[in-house]
Parts: sequence; structure tokens; C-alpha cells
Amino acid sequence: MFNGVFKKTSYIAIDREDNNVSKEPSVPDGLWEKCPICKKAVYTDDLRNNYKTCTKCGHHFRLTSKERIEMIADEGTFEEWNQKMPDVNPLDFEGYIEKVNNMQIKTGEEEAVITGKCTINGHICAVAVCDSNFMMGSMGYVVGEKITRMVEKATDEHLPVIIFTCSGGARMQEGMVSLMQMAKTSQALKKHSDAGLLYITVLTDPTTGGVTASFAMLGDVILAEPGALVGFAGPRVIEQTIGQKLPEGFQRAEFLLKKGFVDLIVERNEMKSVISDILKLHSDGKVTLKSADYYHGRNAVFDVRNKNTKEKTPWDRVKISRDSKRSTGFDYIKYIFKDFIEFHGDRYFGDDGAVIGGIASIAGKNVTVIAQQKGKNLKENQYRNFGMPNPEGYRKALRLMKQAEKFNRPIICFVDTPGAFCGIEAEERGQGQAIANNLYEMSTLRVPIVTIMIGEGGSGGALALAVANEVWMLENATYSILSPEGFASILWKDSRRAEEAAKVMKITAKDLHQLKIIDKIIPEYKPSTDDNIQQIAGYIKNNLKEFLAKYENVDEATIVNNRYNRFRNY
Amino acid sequence: MFQKVLIANRGEIAVRIVRALREMGIKSVAVYSEVDKDSLHVQLADEAICIGPADLSESYLNMERIISATIAGGAEAIHPGFGFLSENAKFVEMCERCNIKVIGPSSVVISNMGNKSEARNTMVKAGVPVIPGTDHIITDVEEGKKFADEAGYPVIIKATLGGGGKGMRIAWSADEFNEKFETAQMESQNAFGDNGMYIEKYIQNPRHIEFQIIADKYGNVVHLGERDCTIQRNHQKMIEESPSMAIGEDLREKMGNTAVLAAKAAGYENAGTIEFLLDKDNQFYFMEMNTRIQVEHPVTEMVTGIDLIKEQILIADGQELSVTQSDIVINGHAIECRINAEDPQKGFRPCPGKIDYLHIPGGNDIRVDTAIYEGYQIPPNYDSMILKLIVHDKNRFSAIHKMQSALGELVINGVNTNIDFLFSIFSDSTFKNGEITTDYIENFMKKRSDS
Repeated sequence: MFNGVFKKTSYIAIDREDNNVSKEPSVPDGLWEKCPICKKAVYTDDLRNNYKTCTKCGHHFRLTSKERIEMIADEGTFEEWNQKMPDVNPLDFEGYIEKVNNMQIKTGEEEAVITGKCTINGHICAVAVCDSNFMMGSMGYVVGEKITRMVEKATDEHLPVIIFTCSGGARMQEGMVSLMQMAKTSQALKKHSDAGLLYITVLTDPTTGGVTASFAMLGDVILAEPGALVGFAGPRVIEQTIGQKLPEGFQRAEFLLKKGFVDLIVERNEMKSVISDILKLHSDGKVTLKSADYYHGRNAVFDVRNKNTKEKTPWDRVKISRDSKRSTGFDYIKYIFKDFIEFHGDRYFGDDGAVIGGIASIAGKNVTVIAQQKGKNLKENQYRNFGMPNPEGYRKALRLMKQAEKFNRPIICFVDTPGAFCGIEAEERGQGQAIANNLYEMSTLRVPIVTIMIGEGGSGGALALAVANEVWMLENATYSILSPEGFASILWKDSRRAEEAAKVMKITAKDLHQLKIIDKIIPEYKPSTDDNIQQIAGYIKNNLKEFLAKYENVDEATIVNNRYNRFRNY
Repeated sequence: MFQKVLIANRGEIAVRIVRALREMGIKSVAVYSEVDKDSLHVQLADEAICIGPADLSESYLNMERIISATIAGGAEAIHPGFGFLSENAKFVEMCERCNIKVIGPSSVVISNMGNKSEARNTMVKAGVPVIPGTDHIITDVEEGKKFADEAGYPVIIKATLGGGGKGMRIAWSADEFNEKFETAQMESQNAFGDNGMYIEKYIQNPRHIEFQIIADKYGNVVHLGERDCTIQRNHQKMIEESPSMAIGEDLREKMGNTAVLAAKAAGYENAGTIEFLLDKDNQFYFMEMNTRIQVEHPVTEMVTGIDLIKEQILIADGQELSVTQSDIVINGHAIECRINAEDPQKGFRPCPGKIDYLHIPGGNDIRVDTAIYEGYQIPPNYDSMILKLIVHDKNRFSAIHKMQSALGELVINGVNTNIDFLFSIFSDSTFKNGEITTDYIENFMKKRSDS
């Protein structure tokens, strides 16, 4: 507009002698750190105060093992084990010892892992933290040995183990000795597991190679940090081998969660509390029954029930059981349990949205909870597949039941499915096999199981969660060999006669109670929805407490026998 | 003395600072966002550096870029102006670590004064009066009542997590306290899921009186009298005056001394403002301290003859104050009007656009601080204040007439402004008589729409 129209003043040279400015302005090293993801400069102090996650994009920066311990362990509780180990050079690899020594000077660490014992919000555990700053966290003899000794000591002292993994893989300079660390650490963990002890892995960026193929993937619970790269072969190796560009997000934590290999992605600011919650849900607990609130809850439901006079037809109940407003598994879990932590994935193929599961507590007792989950709208249902599980859903359920058996947790299942999903891919992955395997394995689980039918109980897809010591049913739930439509179509070649079929199939709670297919009816004064779920959940909760108390001192053989006999009688 | 200073601001305050620097023989570096490339401060400064797109977080609020520009431009100090990063303790701390002097107090002082409870504690310790209030969260009605009885009624009960008037009640007397406390608490419980309450003495129709202070690094502090900023709309100041009609010589001395005490307690250095609430019984209470130069600083300059921006620079350079309290004389009366590009007819909605025609008033003791010119395009991205008109005369009466005369001459065409609205205030008898409280504008608008 007016470029150059203004006159500038010529400056008088000002005497600088009395100048207080001692140094030229300059940015000191480390004032900012550049985020590798969003490329923005982040003030280092902010980064430190924000669990070393980017204040702008949330990227989780890599941590040193000391930083990690500071974030996880209760202050002053960390006791390091086997800090100093002798340098080894099994292949007499030229320059290797020097390289390790240089790394020690550069990082101030002895090796690529720190092991020891600490408390996490008061829960004592053994812990190992790998450090990617030390030769990319690669595993040689020292890393393998420190982890193995830590796990063995934890087994002796009866401690849970937590390992934060990050590694480029086996350490090349130690050749086959490195490879042997995979077997050594894995077998130590197997012994630890056989002693009934908990192992949590936390996958951090990056976890690859021999570490992934050993201790990283063996956790009872596998957590991961957002965006962490986790894989066996690194992305560059895969790209070079197959000559293809990998898709965005391949091998990231979110990808692994979807593929069923990770229980939970946990942001760093939540990590300590999630771990301590999991530890808490694995500490010993006995059922504590308060008789007062128990009777109060039960009577309340019965009182209102008396007002319910009109008897519903079976077809009415079929419709109610399918109603999109009907309470779902999550709704009951929310009202019945405390501290529910959801775990994901079958560890083979995927995470099925139609089956949810995890650990929780009720009346002071830790339990495993599994539910078939429908959505309440189209978007939810796309993810939940309308409550029709795929084989990976049944396999996730079985994985969690096995986990429950290991930690001696009773299992509570909620069934609500139109049926196991029927589709090409479900068949390819063995839908029949998955269901059969659940019936087979559930029959001998050494912990008590109770299954509650809350909505639709569609055939084999429902039974796969219902080989239980007791099976309960909500008043308006159904449990059937087939949908009334399917029944009518097969028997009478006319699916429009579904209402008639519903009448003769004996699929209501009342009918099935008479047939002794189920053990208990949960009354619904009105069909269960958001409006009255609290009341119904309260009733279930009281019954569950009673169930748990009943089984508290029953020996494993009796638990298994009772279940066997229950089904032997049909 | 500094050789070169970067101005981390835009608009009229950037122009104001460039001028002060030029007069002192110090080179200036302007920074600007892409939409501000034709701005006056860019043209007037000796050098100018573009620091990014219009979006504030990408330019005027982007600490890394401003620090990089300072180092690249070879400046030794930054003048932050007001708004933007001027009271950002983290920014100042970064500059300190980069050996860049920010013209203002240290990061520690900014951070202490920016923290309400910290500032309050500092003042209580120093014996500066604060509004009596509870010092911890109250959940029990009896405990709250005990406090209210001691503090005296009326009291205001506020939800700790409150906002937007929710969970807020005034108890006018002891017998309604319990009921008001419980309803406020219930409202808070429902709205925020929390029943923590805070109680303080309620000051009715207070006046906002602020004292300008300057302090050097050697512990010398003087006050430059007060400014009255009672004329506000939605907490946005519109008209500022110095001195205030509400206080006489004795009270001025008492409040001024308290302001000096407060600044000393804060360990303050550079120019700052202590805000007080003044009630109808002439009791005054410390509200907060503004740790920067303020928009309305020219009224103080007009009545004291002290150039505050130059003082700021000298203090930042480590020089001793050139004046003592006895040198300060409040001379006559000054008034400032903030002219905004906004539409008073449409709820004072900002009204960016191009300035087609501009006429600026002149004359004895009439001052215009602005960065606009004919053909200037006001960007929609920033504050709508485009010009400050300041007049000075021997007393308030004359100053009001001078302001009205100058407002009548001020012509800004092309965008809507609040000039006419201000003009009508200066002929309003309530204003002229000085019978003003913070709800003046609201009442004035009601009166206007009724007539």
C-alpha cells in the first residue's frame, strides 16, 4: 500500500558499556523437542509434564527405562535387581564389547532392560522395562538373563510380573545365543504362569522381532500404547521381501487390537491406574454379603411384580426380546459390577464386537464377565453385527474363560444373540468348530459358571456361552433351537407362521423352567429398558452374590461334576 | 541500552511501541501474520518478519515462532503489548531461558499473580485488603453459615466448579442463608456433579478502580493514580477515565499506597495495574493484578505526563525509576474511548471490512492511537478495536465536551462502528454527572430503546 513512504530515523549509536545484556539471545539445546508425528516443536517442560506425549497431537514419545519407572512405580519403591551383569561376547564379535561400553556411557544404563520390584498404587509386583535408547532395546544374553531371573524370582516370591516391551529384536552381535533368549524367557514365564501368577505385558513403540515372538506376546493381559509399532518382521523388511507398500497403520497398536492380539490400548496418562486396577482385580477377594441390602433389593422387585397381571403370549416375548430398546449386556454390566475392564481379541484373528468380556468385581469378589452385545442403533449394530458372533467372538470368550480358570475367578455370561453369525467367512474360520470347542472346554472349567439369558437365546450361538452350573433367564428372554421364523419355515414351509411356531416351541422362561432347561427366572415387571434396568440389575446382582457365596467353598471337582450332571440329565 | 526490540503484537499497540522505540533510538522488529502484511506496524517498524498464517495459534500466539523471529531478527528484547502472550508465564519463561528480555515482569511473578488463590494469599500476607471469602471448599451448610455470619451480609455463594450463574446465589440476610446455600448446592450437584461451594462477601454495585504502578528492579515503586473503568459492556471496557470521580484526595492516597504495597508484596518489576473493587462505603478490596501494559494506559499518560511504554523499556533495561512518588502530580482529567468496528444495532457484532474514508480529529490535547488508514482492510481474525481516542483537559466537565467534539469529527466510513453510540453517551446527563456503575451501559441502552 505505502511501501517505503515513511521516513526511518537514523539511529544514534548507543553506548553499550553499561549494558546488562550479557549474552546474545539463543535457544538453548533441548528447549523444544520436535514431535516426529506432527512435526511441531513441543516445549520440553510441557512434554515432561504431559507423560512425554505431544501436547499438540498426542503422540507418545519413546521413554527411557528410568522415565518409565518414574511414571509407573510408586515413588521410592523401585528396588533394582541384577543391575550389574558381566559383559559377554559369545561370538567374540569384533568391537562388540566396546560398543556396549560406549552405549553404557552414552545412556547411563547398564543394558537395554532394567528389572526389579516396586509397588504400583500399593500393589506389589516385579517389573522389567526395556529401553530403546540402548542398542534399540535388542535382546542379547544380558537382557534375556535379567528378564529370566526377574521372572524366576517373581515365581518364587509369588509376585505378578509386568514387562514393558520395546525392542528391535534379537541382538545380532550375539548370534544364536540371542535366539536362545527367546526360549529361555518364554519357559520362565510358563513356569510363572503355571504357578497361577499374573503376567501383564505393555507393548510400547517399537516391539519387534524376537521379543514379539517371545515374552511380548505371552501376557495374560496384553496392553499397548497408542500408535506403538508391534510386529514380528519390521515393516521395512516386509516391504523389501514382498515388494509391496504396506497400508497406513499396519502393525500399529490399533491394528493389533482390531486383529485380536491386544486386550486394550492405554494412553500413557492412564497407564498406572489401569495397571493397578488390573492388579487389584487379581488380588484375593472373598464374597462379602450384606444381608440387609440383599433382601431389600429382592423384595422391591417382587412387590412391583405382583401388580403385573396381564400374561404375555410367547410371540409378545419374542418381540420384546428383540426390541431395540431392550437392555443389553453392557447395561447390565454397568449396573451390576464394579471396575469392569474390557479385554479384547481372540489372539488369532480379530476382535469380535458381538462379544464383550473382561474382568470386574462384585461384592468384593473378582469375576470374569462375558456378554453377547447388540447395538441400539444401526451404527452400533454395524460394529456389533446385531449381536451375532463370529468364530473369533467365541474364541475370545473361551480365552477369557481359560484366563478366569487360571486365576480362579467365577464366570458370569450374559446371552443375547439371534444366533451365531452365518456367513462365508464365519464358516471359513470354523464357526462350528468354535462353538463345539466352547462346549467341550467349558464342561471341565474348574470355576463356577452362571449364564443369564437377557434377550434372544439363539440356538448353538447361545449355548456356546451357556454350558454353566446355573442358567437363569429374564422373564421376557427367549432360548430356542431356532428362531420361530426358521422353525415355521422348516417344519411348515411358511415363515409367516412364526407366531404360531413361538407358541409350540416352548421358548419362554416359564416353559423352559418347567422343562428344567433353566434354573431361575428373573422377573421383569416391565420389559427391561433404560428406565427400569437399575431395578432388574439390582435383583440380578443380589442373586449373583448369593450364587458366588454358595460356590465360595465348593471344591473344583464338585463344581465340574455338578455342571457335568446338569447336562448329563438331558 | 537495548539496540533492537521485537514487538510481539499487532494493531495500534504495536504502532504505539514502534513509535516509542524510534523516539528512544532503538530499532524495532515487527512480526505479522499473513493477513496483516499491509498493516501499519509492519510499515513503521525498521524490520518486519512474517510468522505464519492468520490463525492465532499459528502466528501471534505461537511462542516458538516468535522466539525464532527474535533470534533471527537479532533483537535482544520482546515487548509483548497487551493480550496475546503478554501474561503468558510459560512464554516469558522460555524467553528467559533463551536469554531474551521480555519487557514486563518475570515469569515467576506473572505466574504467581495469574493464580487467583496464590495472588490472594500473597496480598493477605502483606496486609492488602481482599474480599472476605472462604479459604477452602465448603460442603456443610452450618460451616458456611458460620463464615457468612462473621463476614457480614450480603454474601455470594458460588459453586466451586460453577459457571454461567449456575450454582450461584446471593444471601441477603442470615435467615435466608441456609435455603440459598442448599439450593445453590443442589444446583451444582445436578449441573456439575459436585457439591463444593465457595462463599464470599457480596459487594453491591461496586466500581472498578485500577491503579497504575511502575516498579524498578531495585525495589522502587510509585503509583500513577487511578483509572476508572466502570463503563463496560459484558466485561468489555468502553470508556476509561483518570482520575476517578469516585475517590477524593485522601482515598486516592490510601488506595495508591495500598497499590504500592501490593506491588512490593508481589516482588513486582515493570509497569503493572492493581485492580480494586470499591463499595459504596468507600471500602476497597484487591481483585487482581494485571502484569502488562493496558489498553487504557494513555489516560494515565495524559494526566501524569509520563510515557509508560518508554518507562517500561527503561525499567527492563535495568534502569532506576527517574521519578519518586512526590514527583507525581495528577494534572486535569483524561478520557479514553475505544472505537470498535462493530454494529451496536446488532448486539455489537464485530464488523470487519474495508475503510473507505477516514477523518481523524485533531487539536490541543487530543490523541489518537490507531493502526488504521484509508483503504485498510480490517481482517476478521482479530479483536474489533481499531482506534483509541483520548482527550485531556483541565477537568472532567471540559474533557467530556472535548471528547464529544472530537467524536463528532471522527469519521470512519466503510465499516460499522460504535462512534455514534459513544457520542450519545457523552450527552447523557447520568454519565455527565458521574452517577455511573457497571450496569450503566445496560440501563443506557434500555433508556435509548424506550425513547
